[in-house]
Order: sequence, then C-alpha cells, then structure tokens
Amino acid sequence: MNRMETDVIVIGGGATGAGTIRDLALRGVKTILIEKNDIASGATGRNHGLLHSGARYAVKDPESAQECIRENQILRKIAWHCIEDTGGLFVTLPEDDPAYHSLLLDGCKHAGIPAKEISIKKALQLEPNLNPHILSAITVPDGTIDPFRLTSANMLDAIERGAKVLTHTKVVSVIKKGTEIIGVLCRNIHGEEIEIYAKMVVNAAGVWGQEICNLAGIDLPMFPSKGSMLIIDYRINGVVINRCRPPADGDIIVPGDTVSLIGTTSKEIPYDKIDEYTIDDDEIDVLLSDGEKMIPNVRFTRALRAYCGVRPLVAVSGEKQGRNISRGIVLIDHKERDGIDGLVTISGGKLMTYRLMAEKTADLVCSKIGVKAKCKTDKIPLPGSEHKFTSRRTMKKFSGIPDSVVGSTFYRHGQRLRNILTTDKKNYRLICECEMVTEGEIEYAIKKLNVHDLVDLRRRTRIGMGPCQGELCAYRGSGLFHEYGGASPEGSVELLNDFLEERWKGIKPVLWGDGLRESEFTYWIYEGLFGMSNLKNNKKGLKQ
Amino acid sequence: MIYDCVIIGGGLAGLTCGIKCAKEGLHTVIISGGMNSLHFSSGSIDLAGYTEKGAIVKKPFEYIKDLIKSNKEHPYTKIGLSSIKKSIDFFIDELASDNIPLNNNGEYNHFRVTPLGAVKPTYLSQESVYSSKGKEIIKSKGKIAILNFKGFRDYYAEQTAANIKNHPIFQDIEITVGSISLPYYHKTEKNLHEFRSIDISRIFETEKYLPRIAEEIKRAAGDAVAISLPAFIGIKNYKSIRQKLEAMTGKFIYEIPTLPPSILGLRIDHALKDRFFSYGGEYIAGEKIVSGKINKNEVESISTLNEGRLSEIKSKYYVLATGSFFSGGLQSRLEGISETIFDLATNGTNPRNKWYSKNFFDKKSHPFLNFGVVTDKNLNAKTKEGKAIKNLLCAGAIIGGYNPIKEGCGGGVAIASAYKCAELIAKDLKK
Repeated sequence: MNRMETDVIVIGGGATGAGTIRDLALRGVKTILIEKNDIASGATGRNHGLLHSGARYAVKDPESAQECIRENQILRKIAWHCIEDTGGLFVTLPEDDPAYHSLLLDGCKHAGIPAKEISIKKALQLEPNLNPHILSAITVPDGTIDPFRLTSANMLDAIERGAKVLTHTKVVSVIKKGTEIIGVLCRNIHGEEIEIYAKMVVNAAGVWGQEICNLAGIDLPMFPSKGSMLIIDYRINGVVINRCRPPADGDIIVPGDTVSLIGTTSKEIPYDKIDEYTIDDDEIDVLLSDGEKMIPNVRFTRALRAYCGVRPLVAVSGEKQGRNISRGIVLIDHKERDGIDGLVTISGGKLMTYRLMAEKTADLVCSKIGVKAKCKTDKIPLPGSEHKFTSRRTMKKFSGIPDSVVGSTFYRHGQRLRNILTTDKKNYRLICECEMVTEGEIEYAIKKLNVHDLVDLRRRTRIGMGPCQGELCAYRGSGLFHEYGGASPEGSVELLNDFLEERWKGIKPVLWGDGLRESEFTYWIYEGLFGMSNLKNNKKGLKQ
Repeated sequence: MIYDCVIIGGGLAGLTCGIKCAKEGLHTVIISGGMNSLHFSSGSIDLAGYTEKGAIVKKPFEYIKDLIKSNKEHPYTKIGLSSIKKSIDFFIDELASDNIPLNNNGEYNHFRVTPLGAVKPTYLSQESVYSSKGKEIIKSKGKIAILNFKGFRDYYAEQTAANIKNHPIFQDIEITVGSISLPYYHKTEKNLHEFRSIDISRIFETEKYLPRIAEEIKRAAGDAVAISLPAFIGIKNYKSIRQKLEAMTGKFIYEIPTLPPSILGLRIDHALKDRFFSYGGEYIAGEKIVSGKINKNEVESISTLNEGRLSEIKSKYYVLATGSFFSGGLQSRLEGISETIFDLATNGTNPRNKWYSKNFFDKKSHPFLNFGVVTDKNLNAKTKEGKAIKNLLCAGAIIGGYNPIKEGCGGGVAIASAYKCAELIAKDLKK
C-alpha cells in the first residue's frame, strides 16, 4: 500500500475544493486533493455558468447579493480568462408583476449592485432577439464564467505551488485515532489503495459530503435539489437575460462560448438518486416554453443538450424539513458540532462564492494547525490571467496560425496560450472543428491538466462540445490519447466508447429535429461504419 | 412535358432505381438534394448481417427466406426473394461495367475490417476488401502490415491492429503497424495535417507520385505479404491504380474506410451516376422539393425550389427515395415524426422518450432507426388515411419497419427495393 503525508487533505475536486488547495498553497500549507471522478464533474460543472451580479438575490437575500457582487468584482480581476463580460438584463414580461421591477432596483441599491433602468428601445438594441413586448428592462453587471476553466486554473496554480491532485480516486474510509481524524484511505482507478495522513481533512465533496461524514461516523443530512438546464446551439443572445420576477423555473438565458443556455428547474430528489442525472420531458417543456417568452426564437433553434446538477443543501442543525435549510455558505467545525477533531465540512454556497468559501475554510483550517498567513486569493491572479494584455498583441506572436485558432486558445487558456501553441503545423492542426481545439491544446491538457480520459479532456478544452457533439473529433481525440496519454490502442477505443456514451446522456433528452439527424449520422459512423459494438464479438469469438 | 418516372433522392436507392428505369427505356429524372449516405458508408453492400438477437448471419439469402415467412412488415417480405436476388446480380453487372468489380462469397457473407478493428459481415465488397487472393493470404497466415499516412488524423492504424488481433480470423497472423509519408507533403502551404481522405486520394490519382508511394509502402511494410491502407486509392481509376501499386510493391493491398468522406463509398456513388447517364437518365442536383399534390390517391405533381423559383414537375410515376432523418426524408419534431414532402403515414410513435434507447451503443439499437413511411405490399406509400397512393413508390431508408444498421441490411434493402420499384413501374408502363 502507498502511504503519503501532507498538512491538509481536501476531499472534492469542484471549485470549492480547488479554491481551498490554492488558498492553502498561497499560505504555504501542503495539501493533497482527492476527487472520485474528474474535476468540476459535480455541481461545479453542472450549473449555468453565470457570473452573478447578485441582482437575482437582491430582493430576498441581501447577504448573498452582497457576497456575489464582491466576488464578481474580484473574479473579474483574478480570473479574467475564465470570464466574459456580457452584461445582464432583467426584463419584465406582460404577465409578470410590474412591482418586482422597483423592488429589484431598491434591493440592488441596498446591496451595492450597479443596476440601471434602461428604455425598452435600448434593451432591444442591446439584445435584438429579445421579446419586443417586454414592459421594462434593467441592466446589471452579470457575466459568464466557465466553471471548468476556473477549477482547472485554481488546481494548476496549487500544483505549481506544491499541491497534489489525485482525480478518479475515491475515499473509502477515514483513519481515526480516538475521536480525531488523522487521515483517509482511498482507492484509485487502478484499484490501488493509498493511505494519506494529515493534520486536517476538509470535506468539500458537495452533495456527496454526506457520505464522507458517514465514514467519519457523523450524521449530516443533505437535501439534494436537482436543477436542469437546456443548451441550444448557436449563441442566440449576447447579454444574460433574466426574468424580472421572484426566482422560478426557466427564468434565465445565459450565453456561453458558442451556445446559449436556458436555466433552471428545481426539483427535490431523494438522496439515493443523486448520481442518476435524468432529465424529464416535462422539465424540457418548461424550459422551452419559459425560454421562448424571453427570446421568442428559442423554439426554432436546435436544442443541443440537456443536463442537470444537484445543489448541496445542508441541514445545519439537523432539521428534517426542507424549508429551514440554508442556501448560504455552510462551514462546519465537526469538533464543535460532533466532538470529532480533524474534520471540517464546507458546503452550500454557489459557484460564484467558491473563493470566499475557500477563504473561510482555509482561515478555519489555518487557525487549527497554527498557520498565521492570511488569504491572498483575492489579489493574486490565476494562471492564464497573470497580466492583462490585448489579444491583438498576442495574435502577432503567432503569425501564420489562423486567427480563429489563436483566438480560441487564448479565450480558453488566457496567457497560458504560450505554453500551448507553436508554429509547427502539426501542433495547430484542428482536431475539433466546432470548438477550434488543436492537437497542441490536447497534448497540453493531457500532459499538464490531470486528464485521464476523453470526458476529462472535454472539460479542459471543449472538445466535442459543439454542434456535432464529437462526431469526428471523438475518434481523433481517442487516437491522440494513444499518442500522448499513454493509453493502449484498445484502451483508447474504450475511451471513445465511453465518451460517446457520455455525450448521449445529454443528447437523448432533446432528441428531436436536427439533434436527431446528427445523432443518426453519428450512429451510422460509429456503429455502422466503425462497428463499435461489434468489437465485443471479436473477443467472444476468441473464447469459443 | 411529363416524365415516365421522377425519382426523388439521389442516394444508393435513387440511383439504382434510376439506372434500372432508364435501362428499361423510361424517361427518367433523378432530383437530388446534395450528398448521399454513400459518402459515409463502407462501400460494401450489407444484405443481412445480423439476426434479431444480434448473432452473425452466415448465409444471407437463407436468412431472408426465413425472415419473409416470419415478418410480414419487413421490406424484404414485400420485395420477395427472387427480386432481391435479381437486384443484386443487376447491381454487380452495372458496377462491373464501370470498372468497379464487386466480389461475393457465393451464398455466404464475408467480412470487412472496420477502422476500430471490428470485423463485420457483409455481402458485396470491392476487390480491395474481399477477394480470393485476400482469402488465401489469411489462410496461409501471411504477415500483414497495417499502414497509415503520417499525420493523417482521420484514421489510426494502431487501433485496427490491436483489436483485430483478438479476432479468431487473425489469430496466429503476424500484424505490424507502420506509416508512410508522401512526396507532396513538403511542398504545400496548406496544413497537410488537416488533409481529409479525399485530398489524399487526389495524390494517389496523380500518376507520377505512384513510384514514390510504392517505395514508401515497401519501406514501411518490410517483409509483410499484405498491407492495409486507409481507403485512398483513387476514386475514378481505383482499379488500375491499385493494380499498379500491387505490381510495384509486390504486395496485396487491402483498404479500410476512414472517417468521412469515405472513398470506398464515393467510388460506388460515381460509378452509379456514370451508369445512369450512360442510359440517358436526367439528373437535377441541388433542388429542394417542397411539396407534392395528391388527388384521388394519385400524385399529380411535385414542386421544386431552386434559387427562390418554384417549378412544377409532372410524371406518370414517382419514387420516394429521400432517405431517413439525416437526408431529410423524415422529420422529427417535439410533436412527432412526419414525412417531409407528402406528409405520408409513418410508423413513428409518441412519446418522444420512446424514440431512443438508454445507451448509445445499446444492444437493442434505437427505435427511431425503424421509423419510416408505411407502405402496402407493392411498396406504394400510404396516406395518413391509410390509402395506398397508386403512382408513388418507396425505396431505401424512407421505408419503415426495419433497422438498417442493427440488421446489417441497409444496402440490400436500398438496392432491392429500388429495383423492385423500377420493375413494377416498367411493367405497368410497357403494358
């Protein structure tokens, strides 16, 4: 058995876990992060990627609203390469209560969110696809944020400062000495067991944190709430469109990369269903019909995927009823709550406040292990966002490479572009044509960004996330995994199979129209022409 | 002007039907919207590859004979065994006349190797995929080299090699992997690493490059007696290019399809068009058919849209060979499945969550692949009221009631149904 030692173990590779190891690394604390799947594969990567201005919370939850606007301003500085400053609109539809409009303006004023009423004419100039029958419009400093890039950049920085990240590694038990937790036992993807000892363990496992607490003999009931979202092909809006009414299903359309996204539904689900990720037809119907009220041509645009995430809501003092559950940040010192030393749980909150959650967690951890250093994550930019420079200057360095390739790589990796692109023709050849992902970017991701399979690769590069959903690039990517990722040729074909199955999960809930056409084509290629499921017969034949 | 036969759709079914009609002396026109599924096909013709339970079919005609007894709705049942056999012979003859010899294994299926190294049953293949020479090499356990072009991103020889080694056919056969480079590679401004199969096939079609390619093959293949290449060996002069390369290298050359465009399929597409023209057929490309007028269970005319202009076309007979969803013959909306030109009856059922299976590579495949137009026993399309339309017949993937991929019968149904339609039309018009 392998044995490792560190100062702090962080369980969970979402934004909060990644932010925590970065925060601790900047304070000189050694950490190991353990994630059972891939980075940002839970709620972090399964939301609408909104850089909240806080206006959505301004009426009912001023504290969250203030947190959001503060973090919004910090993230624009430290993580600009993960952010697009699209701006946001709150629009009132004829059927909405017009009174909410002024409540929102007041709330924003109170929370310090720069919100401004604009004329309907101006709103339509800003967003020509908008429903022309809106009654009023307010601008807010919303934006979009890419959760995969954000998480990856936090980890990259932590790793460069000495942290270790073990993905596809599951915690199987905690190691206790009396009432103190002194480490964890985990198992990686190859079935190898690893014992890790540390002064403190941070449970940042999101909705799965309940299971981690169970391992420690602690009862921490989560109340999983499922949110589903719909991605439509084409970026039909440039500005985030919010509906000006109390929070409800289908009240936002967020542009992001090459697509737009309609969010979100909210459904309480039993804890044993948290890994199922099924989206029901009625959820799709709600998202489509509410979406088209804000942008009428939603229904005529191709639906690309649907997906859902599970919010990790915690019952802090053992409430059994859903209504008392906090939606804010929950930081639990289990010594105080349960008499168990060496473990803290961080949960609740939202992607927007990941840095603040990490800061609070690191403060608590540091006070326990006697580290005096203060948080610096609000000042030091993430890798890729080091210095702000104009993209025109960047482009010049790569003359000869198509601008679209340089632009896309820059968009995704900020200044780390320099570590990725070279003027070698093989380096910048396109593997994924929808998202302009090059071989160089794939090589970089496989070698530097903790990538174990094609699904992980997608989270780092957007390969297979465009209109064709991996039709051609999935195969090419699998070949490159053999070339750069050390996968055996048979193994690389299995990765291809897994990738297409994973894509299918999000395609099938929206399988109609052009989406169905595309899927038929993909099926013809991979099943008809390539014989994916016939491969099983090869081995069966050998046994006979 | 009134045509004898208007064929809507220029894929495998439409072209085959067109050739037969034109050969019978009918005034025939094919209206095609653009590319067809041959561009992403293996270039082999599958007749019946797999049983309902997924077992490999050894003797396809025998299997079809049983299928006809048990499945009344299958297009093969409506076509009948003798027409199926005649259609395959017809197809072989026509392609042979255009220098694309197709081989079969008598009453048995043979196998083709896929890029992933799967081994699939099929019935008709080009010489570079199935021949007696190739069969001998496998029998004598001759060494095989699986080659690729350096930097080509649409094919990976390592995957083919690793997976076929698991198959009994290739047991005890030594298989190596290698790559060749091309003379043309170093002299262009284009990014050669982004070349598609069709770009490389043009290099093969350039006679002066062949000796250098042959040298590269010999170097990469070493003492292997047979080599496999991604399918690039030209489109038009494939037969002679392959013969020359085999003579220069002294090695047997096998071909494996790549990501689209599939050169193996393109050869068939070109050859079929050549045949159709040689019989005096008319071909209109790039036209979109927007609607059809039906009166008293008979099609009166169809309307096409070209550069914004509507025009009406009239014919005694119409063949619907528009394919399934991908090629636009069928349409799926939130509300349901429909046929796009005449709004015919389809076998598509609601709700939409029953159109697909849980997994993409599900053992059961997907119900939507079975969807298509409802036809009577003579392949006449039916209206939503259940009435057969006298002068509208269906061919190929637009017909409902079978799964071309799961059953491994897409090519066979396309050819046989197309031939059957042409036979019926010719018989009636020549009365």
